[in-house]
Amino acid sequence: MPGPLNRRTFLKRAAATAAGLAAAGSIPTGIAEAASRATRQESDRRNLTLICWQGYADPSFVRPFEQQNNCKVTATYAGSSDEMVAKWIAGHGNTYDLVSASGDATRRFMNSRTLLPVDVSKLKNFDKLFPKFYTPVWNTRNGQHFGVSFTWGPDVLIYDTRVFKKAPTSWHVIYDPAYKGKLSTADNPITIADVALYLGFKDCYNLTDAQLAKCKAQLQEQKPLLRKYWGGSGDLEDAFIHREVVASNAWPLMTNDLRKAHYPIGETIPREGATGWADTWMISKNSPNVDLAMKWIDYMIGPQGQKGVIDVTAYSGASRSAIPLLGPARVKALHMDNLSFFDELHMWAEPANYAKWQKIWNDVKA
Amino acid sequence: MLGPSVVWLGVFYLVPLALLLVQSFWTYDSVNVVTNQTPTLDRYRALASDPLYRDVLWKTVRLAALVTVTDIALAFPLAAFIAFRIRRKSLGLLLVIIPLWSSYLVRAYAWRTILGTDGVLNNFLVWSHILSHPSSALLFSNTAMYITFTHVWLPFMVLPLYTALEKVPPSLMEAARDLGANGPRVFRHVIVPLVLPGIIAGSIATFSLTMGDYITPGLLGGPDSNLIGNLIFTQFGGTLDWPLGSAISMLVLAVLACFLVLASRTGALEAQ
Repeated sequence: MPGPLNRRTFLKRAAATAAGLAAAGSIPTGIAEAASRATRQESDRRNLTLICWQGYADPSFVRPFEQQNNCKVTATYAGSSDEMVAKWIAGHGNTYDLVSASGDATRRFMNSRTLLPVDVSKLKNFDKLFPKFYTPVWNTRNGQHFGVSFTWGPDVLIYDTRVFKKAPTSWHVIYDPAYKGKLSTADNPITIADVALYLGFKDCYNLTDAQLAKCKAQLQEQKPLLRKYWGGSGDLEDAFIHREVVASNAWPLMTNDLRKAHYPIGETIPREGATGWADTWMISKNSPNVDLAMKWIDYMIGPQGQKGVIDVTAYSGASRSAIPLLGPARVKALHMDNLSFFDELHMWAEPANYAKWQKIWNDVKA
Repeated sequence: MLGPSVVWLGVFYLVPLALLLVQSFWTYDSVNVVTNQTPTLDRYRALASDPLYRDVLWKTVRLAALVTVTDIALAFPLAAFIAFRIRRKSLGLLLVIIPLWSSYLVRAYAWRTILGTDGVLNNFLVWSHILSHPSSALLFSNTAMYITFTHVWLPFMVLPLYTALEKVPPSLMEAARDLGANGPRVFRHVIVPLVLPGIIAGSIATFSLTMGDYITPGLLGGPDSNLIGNLIFTQFGGTLDWPLGSAISMLVLAVLACFLVLASRTGALEAQ
């Protein structure tokens, strides 16, 4: 809570909010698309279009790629896997060259018959992937590659360290009435898997109707405690920075951004375990820029791209190529020295009854 | 001279609407979105049987009506002030229009900074000892959506109202006064009937803009702030059930059609 205010601090805060507003770069996803479209300019340089998660097209590593290949990279950020699938399929794969699909969406992409099989022998950095990412089920079918994994990571519990002196040990905090009005959760049906883990349903992508009903009841109980559902990293970071929220599920990207902003943020994996994800670059079979798209994939699993995306997101890399650049301490912190952490995570997968998950999510929210 | 406008309306309005209508009778599959084109009433049955859609629609209509009424109340004095009280009318109008030059998103975001727990308004209220500690009830709530809608749509009410007010002949008001009518009576029996078309035109704008919005609920709404626009957006932008999204859109259109019919009953639309 802000301390006692005098006129000067009031004016200072007002000015600060105004400045924050002017710099309001953290406009939620979905909306960011319009802005990115506007920047798409006519020129003789070729334009590689991506639909991806926030952090996967940061200028810090996109610029060098653009310069190396004399092209322009235009990214649309999506707030959920569903949004990526919807936008990709609505355009029958004609709208974007590449998508950064997570494991809960890759089956839908592969089923959509809009993907180009990737000839991995043409990627000079492919061999440097951790072996677990050579032919993972989420992007390989009958030995055919429909994309290449490049990052993975957990869904973490993040908290304001001024409120929580010690790291919470259970996901219970985001269902705890003691923090009513100060909590948030991801606005995404796949969040139901997190609820399932909290309720002790270990097989959290394979829920029975009875288990789903329990998850729904838990979500309905949580709803009045929430400040808001977050729809993107900027949305949640903004809520923390303005002290609207003190605990939420999140991605390591948010922890990283908030730490960069010197916000007192903590991150932990509670004892119930955590869901996680591995993301794959997939190419549209209708892409006019296949060669460029292949270069992008090779770049993103190569040392420069891996280091770049890890610096921005604090996600773990799917490749060993950046290990010398990261240094032993960061490699260990990112669990890239020992992938047993990967095996402990409940990796996002598309539930067979996903339509029911979507319906539950809509019901809970409305 | 009607030709171009008919073509315009047809291509950009009627054809897409007809496509939506047709699509609402189809079924969807997750691969090709809409393939099975055997007409079915499934989606409308879902709309009728599931209280979710009714509740959210009703909530949206109530909010849209409240926003419209508030905008009328706020726009009237402002438009009258510009029309009757100031000499440099164009400057007055310019001030009303200027906010429209900034993005709708920026204006919605501004309210987030104003209404936040650590925001401008809370800081002011605490500073002036009206509140002992900042209230978190302002942001991420239905109230925040109401305030934002009321503000961002206000120019759409002020402009037609001003145009209507400007056309009211001062001699009529003077005549009413001369015949002994007091201020409120002149207002009710002379001004309001004459500017009714302006009020209706503004109301159509504010009401339908609120009915179709899905951005503000995400930016300023709380966990319980989904509007009908969000449900439509989810069908097109998430679950890919375009037929259901189309059916919900038809429901919204039906509400707006009812609103237009009511408006035309007042005779205001012909007068335009």
